Amino acid sequence: MPKHIVRLLALIVVVAIFAFSAKKFLTPDTFYQYGHYRGDAVAEIASKAPKLQGSASCEPCHKKAYAEWTDGIHRKATRKNAIQGVVYKYGPNCEVCHTGPAGNHPSKDAMPLSVEDQVTSITHPEIKVHPANVPGRKLMLTPEEMKGVCLNCHEKMEARPKEQRQIEVASHSGEELCTKCHNPHSPRIIYASLPQSRRGSAQAGKIVAAVCSGCHGAAGMSVNPSWPNLAGQHADFLVDSLKAFKSGVRKNDMMSSIAAGLNEADIRNVAAYFSRFSCGVTGGDKAEAALGKAKAANCAACHSAGGLYGSGAPGVSGIPTWPNLAGQNAEYLASTLRSYQDGSRTHPVMTSVAKTLSDSDIDHLSAYYASMKCK
Amino acid sequence: MTTQDRKFDQQAVALSRRRFLGLLGKGMVCAGTLVSANSAIGSAEVRGGKRAYQQNDAQYTESLNNPPEIPDYNWNDHQWAMGVDTDRCIGCLRCMEACKMENSVQMDAFHHRTWVERYVYLEGSNTAIVDSQADPKNIENTGSETKFRFDNRYRNVKVDKAFFVPKLCNQCEHPSCVQVCPTGATFKVKDGPVLIDTTYCIGCQYCVQACPYGARSFNEVRGVAEKCNWCYHRITKGLNPACVEVCPTGTRIFGDRNDPESPISLFIKNNHVQVLKPEMGNAPNVFYKGTDKEVV
Ligand code: HEC
Ligand code: HEC
Ligand code: HEC
Ligand code: HEC
Ligand code: HEC
Ligand code: HEC
Repeated sequence: MPKHIVRLLALIVVVAIFAFSAKKFLTPDTFYQYGHYRGDAVAEIASKAPKLQGSASCEPCHKKAYAEWTDGIHRKATRKNAIQGVVYKYGPNCEVCHTGPAGNHPSKDAMPLSVEDQVTSITHPEIKVHPANVPGRKLMLTPEEMKGVCLNCHEKMEARPKEQRQIEVASHSGEELCTKCHNPHSPRIIYASLPQSRRGSAQAGKIVAAVCSGCHGAAGMSVNPSWPNLAGQHADFLVDSLKAFKSGVRKNDMMSSIAAGLNEADIRNVAAYFSRFSCGVTGGDKAEAALGKAKAANCAACHSAGGLYGSGAPGVSGIPTWPNLAGQNAEYLASTLRSYQDGSRTHPVMTSVAKTLSDSDIDHLSAYYASMKCK
Repeated sequence: MTTQDRKFDQQAVALSRRRFLGLLGKGMVCAGTLVSANSAIGSAEVRGGKRAYQQNDAQYTESLNNPPEIPDYNWNDHQWAMGVDTDRCIGCLRCMEACKMENSVQMDAFHHRTWVERYVYLEGSNTAIVDSQADPKNIENTGSETKFRFDNRYRNVKVDKAFFVPKLCNQCEHPSCVQVCPTGATFKVKDGPVLIDTTYCIGCQYCVQACPYGARSFNEVRGVAEKCNWCYHRITKGLNPACVEVCPTGTRIFGDRNDPESPISLFIKNNHVQVLKPEMGNAPNVFYKGTDKEVV
């Protein structure tokens, strides 16, 4: 055989031996065990530690929040028809709102890296640690996150199914944080369970009320139809209003100076005094009131006893810090709604609500509420 | 040789060529039947959940007798599947966020194992406008690439119909991605999911191209392909996948098809469900309820 052929053959044999032994040594034993892949990989992937711990895991350490959540609508929500025969509990759980999987919380140690996470970078060696692997996650929402967290699910939006409760942010809460009125762990507002503020003494309030009777009447029914009646109004709302005048948040030529002269106790006492009187119905134009009724659905959530869904007297607000409107002077109602519109009176919620009303809406609604029974 | 003879001879030659061609034809038909019958049997077996994709007899026996060592878990007992009830999806994207954290997926809008699309038919229009969290306006809406929320761009226009559709890897019975993988880094396991062995992935991205559902992406940080595996590390511990766990409306349904009482079995039994792109022949294992034909 010619020499060059022998050399070539020898080379081929060496390469072949090398290739075969390389394949033998480099292919893991478990390759082809179950298929064209490394059999060990299955158990490796399954061995990774779960980071999402589930709400039940928070219970031992956060008993109060957990109890509130378990009893609240965010846990109790059920919707039928998905799977017949199976009742599904759903609603956001702890980790959905609290910035994500708890991982090793509250420990400051990092989660052990899984095989998957250990794979080194080929293109960006500078990025090694992934956010979710950072140890000791705090889980508390930042103020920035608080603003968005509820809107992920509750902002009114096309494509969102009607069954999901949704709000128009501008008119529902404006710039207010949702947690001002809702407990995030049990967000449905149950009026009866709202805390009552410390009551003043009506007896002591009578003395202060002497100053007021010139305008608001001795029994809380104002002498001028463009001034508000105070009789039967929620004491808490009266307190808040007087404080607002005192601090300058709410401004009025007559009231601001009067409120400035009252101290904390005076305010509570005079509020208790006027709220005890039975309210009167001032009445309004019948035809306009009928038109107002149709529009009042927008106000019911806040200004009616039963809230959005309950049956309750319209104009009698369920929350003691919010004003009753029933029986109030129509002229005052209209002028104060216009003052929300032009900005001379402001309130995060009412300002945006009032801006959705037209001039005639205001007249109709005022007539409607003025003629409602106030009890 | 007489003329007669020669004629006969010619005839014989002509005959034998014709016969040869005829035989060849018949042979091919027979062979074809055999091959297709064979593959039909093969795929019937796969559909019956008997063996995993591309598994030969020996490997199948091995997977029965000697399953991977996962504590308290035997892959022969399970056949996982997922259902998506699109009528209930509120598009909150919590599934996507939880998935990213659970699986350490890159925290930007373009890399994801599961995501949500919004289909909107404007008044009088027959074609849907589709957007997802990766749309620039939606990224701008949250002001951060690491937080995800749909913007409210259809607030002031008339919309005929609109809905959200969650998407994820379909864990197909006949996965195109597994077929094209040159290294055996991606594979279908016996209990259903298609997994990725990241240590064997060379980052060639053939699988990303091959997937008809766009379910795979490339993780530039790790240099490997990325896709949903139904949180294999969770389901083998008796937990739900992360997206199912956090879904606040019960849109995502998960379970074992071997158990007739599992949520997924009941879901498939009691609803009209469909799979995406059935014409691709991939035989997905994610079942959708309430989607339009436009959803692919
Ligand atoms: C082993 C006990 C333990 C468990 C279980 C636990 N936490 Fe905590 N959590 C703590 C401690 C201790 C702190 C305070 C230390 C800190 O701020 O890091 C804390 C702080 C928090 C805070 C911040 C509270 C604040 O006022 O700043 C939140 C929110 C929270 N946890 C949520 C959760 C959630 C959600 C879970 C369940 C997934 C959970 N925790 C499970 C012990 C626990
Ligand atoms: C709907 C979203 C949501 C869910 C679900 C939720 N939280 Fe909260 N949580 C919040 C918000 C928002 C705050 C901040 C409240 C504030 O600042 O007034 C908070 C505050 C907390 C705090 C600190 C204040 C406190 O009340 O002690 C803890 C601890 C906490 N949550 C634990 C939990 C646990 C445990 C769960 C599950 C059982 C849970 N949360 C579920 C939204 C949520
Ligand atoms: C991940 C989605 C999600 C998040 C985040 C979320 N919710 Fe909810 N919320 C729901 C679901 C689902 C329901 C149940 C709706 C039903 O059954 O009608 C619900 C119910 C409610 C209800 C009760 C409506 C009613 O009267 O029945 C209120 C109020 C509410 N949420 C307020 C909030 C507030 C405030 C926050 C922020 C702290 C918040 N939600 C965050 C999903 C969410
Ligand atoms: C000024 C107080 C206030 C603020 C701030 C507020 N809400 Fe409400 N919310 C209410 C009241 C009152 C209701 C009516 C409850 C009822 O009728 O049962 C309500 C009802 C709801 C409902 C149920 C609506 C329905 O159709 O049943 C949701 C959802 C809701 N709020 C979410 C939010 C979210 C999200 C935020 C923050 C962006 C927020 N709320 C801020 C007072 C408030
Ligand atoms: C000079 C006449 C005058 C006197 C005296 C007066 N008020 Fe007023 N009060 C008004 C007017 C006018 C308004 C309407 C302010 C507005 O439109 O914002 C008002 C509003 C109020 C309100 C807000 C009611 C609501 O429904 O928003 C309260 C509370 C109140 N007064 C309490 C008092 C008390 C208590 C005194 C006595 C200490 C008093 N006022 C004395 C004229 C008077
Ligand atoms: C989301 C809750 C909410 C809704 C909806 C709402 N209001 Fe109000 N409203 C309030 C609160 C809170 C105040 C107290 C504001 C303040 O202290 O300045 C208020 C105050 C008022 C006042 C002033 C009462 C007084 O005695 O000073 C009028 C008038 C009023 N609302 C009318 C309406 C009308 C009409 C609608 C429907 C178009 C409406 N509101 C819808 C929450 C609401």
